[in-house]
Amino acid sequence: MLRKEQNDLLTQTGPDTPGGRLFRSYWIPALLARELPENDCPPVRVKLLSERLIAFRDSEGRLGLMDEFCAHRGVSLWFGRNEEGGLRCPYHGWKYDHTGQCIEVPSEPVESGFCKKIKLKSYPLIERGGVLWTYMGPANKQPPLPEWEFALVPDAQRFVSKRVQESNWLQAMEGGIDSSHVSFLHRGELNTDPLFKGAKANQYNLRDSRPVFEVVESAGGLYIGARRDADEGNYYWRITQWVMPSFTMIPPRGNHPVHGHFWIPIDDENCWTWSFDYHPTRPLTAEQVKAMEDGKGIHVKYVPGTFRPLANKDNDYLIDRAAQKAGRTYSGVEGIGMQDASLQESMGPIVDRTKENLVSTDNGIIMARHRLLKAVRALMQNETVPPGVDIAHQRVRSAAVVLPPNRPFIEAAKEALTVQEGTAHASV
Amino acid sequence: MPGESARASSAFEAGFRIDAANARARTTKVLALDRPSAAVIGRLATSPWMGASFLTIPTEAPARDGAFSVSGWLRDLAGQTRNLADEIAGADQVVMVATAGENAEAASIIGEACSVRRIMTTGLILANSSTPDEALSRTLSHMRPWALMLVVASGEEYIEDMLTALRA
Repeated sequence: MLRKEQNDLLTQTGPDTPGGRLFRSYWIPALLARELPENDCPPVRVKLLSERLIAFRDSEGRLGLMDEFCAHRGVSLWFGRNEEGGLRCPYHGWKYDHTGQCIEVPSEPVESGFCKKIKLKSYPLIERGGVLWTYMGPANKQPPLPEWEFALVPDAQRFVSKRVQESNWLQAMEGGIDSSHVSFLHRGELNTDPLFKGAKANQYNLRDSRPVFEVVESAGGLYIGARRDADEGNYYWRITQWVMPSFTMIPPRGNHPVHGHFWIPIDDENCWTWSFDYHPTRPLTAEQVKAMEDGKGIHVKYVPGTFRPLANKDNDYLIDRAAQKAGRTYSGVEGIGMQDASLQESMGPIVDRTKENLVSTDNGIIMARHRLLKAVRALMQNETVPPGVDIAHQRVRSAAVVLPPNRPFIEAAKEALTVQEGTAHASV
Repeated sequence: MPGESARASSAFEAGFRIDAANARARTTKVLALDRPSAAVIGRLATSPWMGASFLTIPTEAPARDGAFSVSGWLRDLAGQTRNLADEIAGADQVVMVATAGENAEAASIIGEACSVRRIMTTGLILANSSTPDEALSRTLSHMRPWALMLVVASGEEYIEDMLTALRA
């Protein structure tokens, strides 16, 4: 459990909050690159860390992310005309460049220089790996550009999606590092989902339904190891990576692509769940991409034209009680992504952690909260750069390995847990 | 008109959650397996806890021959002897604390006693970044067979957070 003040520290991420300052230390995913597909395309509303912003790609291909509202009388620039190197408010023609600098106020004489006095708050927006990333912290502390492996491989080796989750970011992220729920909530998918089934090591999962967990601190966050009996007295380890504040990478199965998530606060009651699949050494197959587009694996189907999942709280997540009773799904909700999101949303917009009764297998979550609280306090008190900013902390992989007993997995799997260019991820 | 799930998960509806205790107090035993860990739990014990008690073992693990008896084997922080079976009887959770590189063989005695009684055991190993892998490996080999959950933490402040989270 957490005390209320600790819960507030981690769940509140708006401007001038400690949690918000933490997130503002990092490059975070803001949009899919295809949301701004071409120069002078329509602008897109973006809400991140409780700030309302507008994103656009100008005539020269420069990316802009700035205050959504015109400085004149507060009109939303979503109605703006993206033309000739800027975004023009349609109300009175005020125009802004990609940095938020006002470059034209038609009602004022050009010679007055009035427009130079007007500048909207803006943040850098860069493209890497099919994702547009932004950094919302102080300009003089801007970190190096992100180097997550999935974002650096060729396009054909990667698939990225995003969806709205209608809950606070933290209860969503905690699901990603809670290995113990997989044997219950997702047990049906191991044998049926095309992006999971068929791996040799799935037999270890099915044979040993009570894994033992080991949680070990890493430089950027945590390793969460789940240990099962393998053959000949060895252990089968599945090692999840968590890098602060909200990146996870799930251990691979067989030669399937490896996947993971980011959870990025929209505001304190909603977040983006970013999901990626990639393979370090080969393109994804057409069948794999089709499966992801169809909402298999960690991806979802959408309400058309939106990033809202088709199964959502307004339709009771399309729950199928017959399927639940028959054992085809454990909760009655179909698909790994929505199986998680439905339960996490049911906790309420911001779960009250003072009422929790955690058990020992929740140590991954306990340790993650501990590290986040420590990082927030160190940032506030000493301006200490939090873990996960250093690009060395981003050059990580998850791993699935068979090891002899009695070896610390972080030593035995050290190479497998870091990016080795040109080699496939460690999998069984 | 929002669906039932939409209404049920709203902030407004969260205000109607039952505001009553939903669990009885837990009995937690925290056992230090070596001298450095004993010093750590000695410091921890000064904080207010809900139901945790803190125990240590003799510095040397006993010989596993017929002469060994767990009666009076444990010590409380005042130095009084305690019986292992009595201490873990009725425990909801047993946390074993060890320091990487130290002898954690006593985990087998405690773990076996807990296993027979189906009591959840958590192993917590204190190891910082300069701890040699071999030292950590040795302690892990003692703990792994007897801990259903293992944590390797770099600082003792984690133990306090963990025990608080587990309502110790």
